[in-house]
Amino acid sequence: MNGGQSLNRKKQTGQTRKLAIAPYLFILPNLLIFGVFIVIPSLLGLFYSFHVYDGLNPMKFNGLGNYIKIIGDKEFWSTIGRTGIYAAIVVPLIYAVALGIAMLLAREIKMRGLFRAIFYWPTMISFIIVGLTWKWIFGDSFGILNHMLTLIGVEPVGFLTSPFWANAAVIIATVWSRAGFFMVIFIAGLQAIPTDYYEAARLDGATGLKVFRHITLPLLKPTSLLVFMLSLIDAFKAFPLIFALTGGGPGKETTYIVQYIYEIGFTKQELGLASAMSVMLFVIIGGFSALQFRISKGGAV
Amino acid sequence: MKRRTNFKLSFSLVLIMSLIMLTACGNTDNSTVNTGSTGGAKQATLDFLWFSDGNEGEVIKGIIKEYEQSNTNVKINLIEVGFKDLQTKLKTMISGGKPPALSRITDTGSFANQAVDLTPYVESADQFEGQFIDSLKPYYVIDDKLIAAPMDVTANGLIYNKTLFDKAGVKVPTSPEEVWTWDEYIAALKEVMAKGGARYGMVWDVTPHRWSTLLYQNGGSIVTEDGSAAAINSEAGVRCMELFKQLHKDGIMPESVWLGGENPNNLFRSGTVAAHWAGNWMISNYKDITDFEWGVTYMPKGTQRSSVPGGKFLMAFKGSGNEQEAAAFINYLTSKEVNSKYNQESLFMSPRKDSSVLDYEFGKEMYEVFSDELKNTSPLAANDWSRQTLISKISTDLKNNIIDVLSDKATAQEAMDKTAKLINEAIGSQ
Repeated sequence: MNGGQSLNRKKQTGQTRKLAIAPYLFILPNLLIFGVFIVIPSLLGLFYSFHVYDGLNPMKFNGLGNYIKIIGDKEFWSTIGRTGIYAAIVVPLIYAVALGIAMLLAREIKMRGLFRAIFYWPTMISFIIVGLTWKWIFGDSFGILNHMLTLIGVEPVGFLTSPFWANAAVIIATVWSRAGFFMVIFIAGLQAIPTDYYEAARLDGATGLKVFRHITLPLLKPTSLLVFMLSLIDAFKAFPLIFALTGGGPGKETTYIVQYIYEIGFTKQELGLASAMSVMLFVIIGGFSALQFRISKGGAV
Repeated sequence: MKRRTNFKLSFSLVLIMSLIMLTACGNTDNSTVNTGSTGGAKQATLDFLWFSDGNEGEVIKGIIKEYEQSNTNVKINLIEVGFKDLQTKLKTMISGGKPPALSRITDTGSFANQAVDLTPYVESADQFEGQFIDSLKPYYVIDDKLIAAPMDVTANGLIYNKTLFDKAGVKVPTSPEEVWTWDEYIAALKEVMAKGGARYGMVWDVTPHRWSTLLYQNGGSIVTEDGSAAAINSEAGVRCMELFKQLHKDGIMPESVWLGGENPNNLFRSGTVAAHWAGNWMISNYKDITDFEWGVTYMPKGTQRSSVPGGKFLMAFKGSGNEQEAAAFINYLTSKEVNSKYNQESLFMSPRKDSSVLDYEFGKEMYEVFSDELKNTSPLAANDWSRQTLISKISTDLKNNIIDVLSDKATAQEAMDKTAKLINEAIGSQ
């Protein structure tokens, strides 16, 4: 009797223990991958940032030397500034375009699925291919756009040789490749707004613009913040597309921060300095995220 | 209480798992080192890191096969990577404790500390070095150590569109005696543009290495002869920069190449450009052009004639466990017979003094021009470009500063002064 009871209890505690371990086991694979490929390299990067290191020869401890060098590095700050301007243009543009398309495609229209697919398609193409594709469109001597301009008798434009046009080309390509992704998020957000609100507003005689301003936009706030945050982080990390499209040129006109860090690390072989720059970038992006998290009160409405 | 023990349990589980993963990685490293240290006529597998510009990958595969047949204890595992990825791949392998036995390499200086000193494996260092063109020596002899061996030598040179020149009735120099001056050359290009219908006079590869050809032709250099200070902002350097800008301003060179990242090879291939400043490696690349005729002619002279030499080398690495076998294979590949075969079939130039004339299947007369360019090259060119660690630190800045001049952001003097400052800083930090 007694023995059977204790056995039963043992079984029970065994089961609860299993239940308690299970969740950890479920997250284990991801935790391992995250740890091995993200956390450990990040910590190593932090470690490198205090050293002079070329990836081969023994590293030398340098204290805060790398950071002091960066703070006095005009090139670094002007690159950050350029990245900031790029983000300031690209983020609102992506927001507006994605929201606009989402509003159109959230409605019941013919071939909605096809149009959604068409706008979503570019997000599935790798950035390198997007960059190369647009290079064939904007290219100075081989670009389709210049070919068509010459056909209608207009002087070809140096799309990738003039600083202004090169930046414009980068922005157009970025918006084209990213808008579809955020469109999907917006469509989900739009569909989550109860139709009662719209009906009530219409009964009150509100026009389209008013409905948008007073119902759609406020109720989309959590979605909007998410889109802003993601696209801002995207913008600060932009690299492969631009590298393929302009290579950072003409000159350094479209060299943004990640490419700059890449060049320091892998062309100049100064991995310590590049790591320190990455840490600075991490702090900047982390700052944005914290700020937006606070504004959005942790994502709550 | 219980929850905490469970947490501890799963946490330790995570730790154990990650430990297993880490040690698993570590173990493989150890085992390769162990098998390697036995020595003698053991079975050895040599990892051979390789990149290809043209068809030399196929040529080396044939040579490897022959080598394996006569050396049955050696197996060579050719690992092919893109040229751009070679350095990163090599670094990862070395810092991960698993260096390849040997690698084809251009940037010898960066890996000097990791390279096997080949001196004990050759007859004598002097005899070995004596076999090769003198200008290559600073690339593979560093601190009196034989850190690599030359496989082929490259020369910058001038490839021209024969069809366009013929159409304009402009003759190119056919012997070293007829070499253009820079003024004559520019006049010739203008004529080809006016009468031959070329859209641009010339395109020039976007690399400081190709750009520097102009520098040496005008008696300039990147650093002083003893390497103690920058020389790029000398009067000659500034004059070159101004000429380079003028060529863009006059529309002889398209801005889309240096400013817009357009590929000069594609422009030349389109048949609308009179000349391409590249190097001998482009011969095998342009071999398939059928829309027009092209050829190689002598580059114009400034205050003197000059090309820029370059080379591709073989380097063996310390810690692979197969240093001896790798060195023996390198000896084989640099021997007269094998090296000549390799270069002849790949359409490359041999770095060996005794096989400078090879019986190429294609473009034999073009190679004569290239080797004449090499013979008439300023010694300062090799002196600059063999300083690989310095060059890798400043070449991006040099390129950007040249572009700043082209896009009117800096004057020639400002850009060269800025570059010189960076060069001096880099020299100081070495």
